[in-house]
Amino acid sequence: MELSVLQQYGPMLLRGFGITVFCWLAGTVLSMALGLMIALAQRYGPRWLNWLLRAYIEVIRGTPFLVQLFVLYYGGPLVGLRLDALPAGLLGLTVYGSPYFAEIFRSGFGAVPHGQIEAARAVGIPEPSIVRRILLPLALVSALPALVNFSIILTKETVILSIITVPELMYQTQRMSTETFRYLEANFVLALFFWGLVETISRLGRRLEARVTRHIERG
Amino acid sequence: MFSIQTFLDAFVPLAWAARYTLLVSCLGIALGLVIGVVVCAMRLSGSRLARGIGALWVSFLRGVPLLVQLLLMFYLLPVIGIDVPPLVAAVVTVGICASAYISEIWRGAIGALPGGQTEAAQAIGMGPATIWRRIILPQAVVMSLPALVNELILLVKASSLVSVVGILELTRASQAQAATTFRPLEVYLAAACIYLAINLCLAALGRWLEHRMAI
Amino acid sequence: MTQAASVDMTRINKFYGPFQALRDVSLHIPPGKVTCLIGPSGSGKSTLLRCINFLERYDAGEIRIDGQLIGYDTPGGRLMSGRRLREMRRDIGMVFQQFNLWPHMTALQNVAEGLERVRGLPRAEAEAQARAALDKVGLGDKTANHPARLSGGQQQRVAIARAIAMQPRVMLFDEPTSALDPELVGEVLAVMKQLAAEGMTMVVVTHEMGFAAHVADRVAFMERGELVAAGTPAEIFANPRDERIRAFLHSYHERNAFEV
Repeated sequence: MELSVLQQYGPMLLRGFGITVFCWLAGTVLSMALGLMIALAQRYGPRWLNWLLRAYIEVIRGTPFLVQLFVLYYGGPLVGLRLDALPAGLLGLTVYGSPYFAEIFRSGFGAVPHGQIEAARAVGIPEPSIVRRILLPLALVSALPALVNFSIILTKETVILSIITVPELMYQTQRMSTETFRYLEANFVLALFFWGLVETISRLGRRLEARVTRHIERG
Repeated sequence: MFSIQTFLDAFVPLAWAARYTLLVSCLGIALGLVIGVVVCAMRLSGSRLARGIGALWVSFLRGVPLLVQLLLMFYLLPVIGIDVPPLVAAVVTVGICASAYISEIWRGAIGALPGGQTEAAQAIGMGPATIWRRIILPQAVVMSLPALVNELILLVKASSLVSVVGILELTRASQAQAATTFRPLEVYLAAACIYLAINLCLAALGRWLEHRMAI
Repeated sequence: MTQAASVDMTRINKFYGPFQALRDVSLHIPPGKVTCLIGPSGSGKSTLLRCINFLERYDAGEIRIDGQLIGYDTPGGRLMSGRRLREMRRDIGMVFQQFNLWPHMTALQNVAEGLERVRGLPRAEAEAQARAALDKVGLGDKTANHPARLSGGQQQRVAIARAIAMQPRVMLFDEPTSALDPELVGEVLAVMKQLAAEGMTMVVVTHEMGFAAHVADRVAFMERGELVAAGTPAEIFANPRDERIRAFLHSYHERNAFEV
């Protein structure tokens, strides 16, 4: 690409990149938080709530992200939910990611040996402290690879937000390529960009994993 | 107001369009299985070059969003002089993308086989080809079935993205329907229900397979 | 039964990187006799056993089955071809600690597989011989069971049947009872005794000192990759001359004190 093209579209691409990273980080944090709440509610809540959340998980995991976005962004106004593209996209990412994170946390809880919870009960630690001090840290450690893995998947899902006109990197790249007719080059660079991003995140994830598991015996 | 009538009316045309959703995902997984075997064999082979190419293949396809891969393919094909219908290009892209994940599924299944089984076969004098055909592959295929069903579910969802390149499958059809009826909520919810129905059936199939394997 | 073979090992050395797993081990395994390899864990006895059918590659020395070198074309020379190695392995049966049955096949198929694919027998003939081998280990009524539906002792007996069906001239046992619950050990040892009585050449790595004392013709004691001593059970167990053997037997008796 010539320098002039970059000069012209550089700021736009940069803004798109910023929005991509923002969507990814905010979407990951929000959906992880919602997922954790769902997993805790399933573990400690009443049975009817458990069923309700189970249904939520199945429905969201059984439908494409794109269709969820359409329901939210184009269908929302019919029931009074009028959102701009970016907030709609963020809400969509949060809803979409939460059941996957909930399942990851659930299996993380399952991986904590029951004896360690019982040991805490035996010395009389109150239940909320057990959750906070024993269950959560141990579950987080064993769930970490899956958490990193899913946040990588979310990185890639952010490009779908471009379809509902969130001005992230994919959107800006397509805009640039329709104006400059450099479709192939633009998408090739975009692919390389995501490849690099995903490889970097997974590498950082592996390093983080090695760090937090350094005290844990591997079976 | 939410119109039940519009919601129900949307089902028949959308369900009909869903045949392309099934077509893209089933052909996609079939192609993915074929390419996946080759990639898996490359990654397990003795040749360093083959292992490197296999690893690069998997890393690229898993690192780049499918939507970007689709656009890349659609802009690349005319440049290198290949003229195929969009449906073919879409299926090929989905299949290539799936091959990366499927090769990893198979690599995992083969890695999970206890090494002693191969040794026992070697100890009675079986050759490598026989060991692969009679001991490793039958077990790896069976072991990976639930994961492959899961991959198919992912593809059914991912196939919604081929709407972007103009394939009139479930998502594209619901966009058209929403535009003509001005009732996006009902129409998209109906589409979501159809996706959900397909995937719940597939998930049940996966559970059944897993249950049968456990015996 | 086909002619029992002898095994001769001469100055076997084996390295894992810088670690020397076997150090100049020389041992004669007489034909038609039972030789037990004993010693602490990590002493190299399993490694030595696995060198006999070349599942483990030895780095120096030679191993001959009835005079035929295994693993290399010439002593210290090139690796022998895969085909030739497979031919030699047909004559060497092996039983593993973890049974290593193929879980997707029934007991009968596990035994018949080698007869069909390696010996090249027609299916019916292979299955008839497999049935006979399973009868011999007392499992004639379990032929249709998959391994998961068999107890550990039964699985190990199927594994023995799989090996003897090939009509080997030497049988290698790698801790055949170590993975079994104590109450299942007896049935496997009984089958092995029966096999010994028929004049099979057997090399057995074991922690069952009772079996070694009563069934073995020769006992070899290993420690840290070295062969410390080899002799009759009486020589090794009754009045061991080497301090290391005495220490090993002492700790063994300590652990199993109530048996004494």
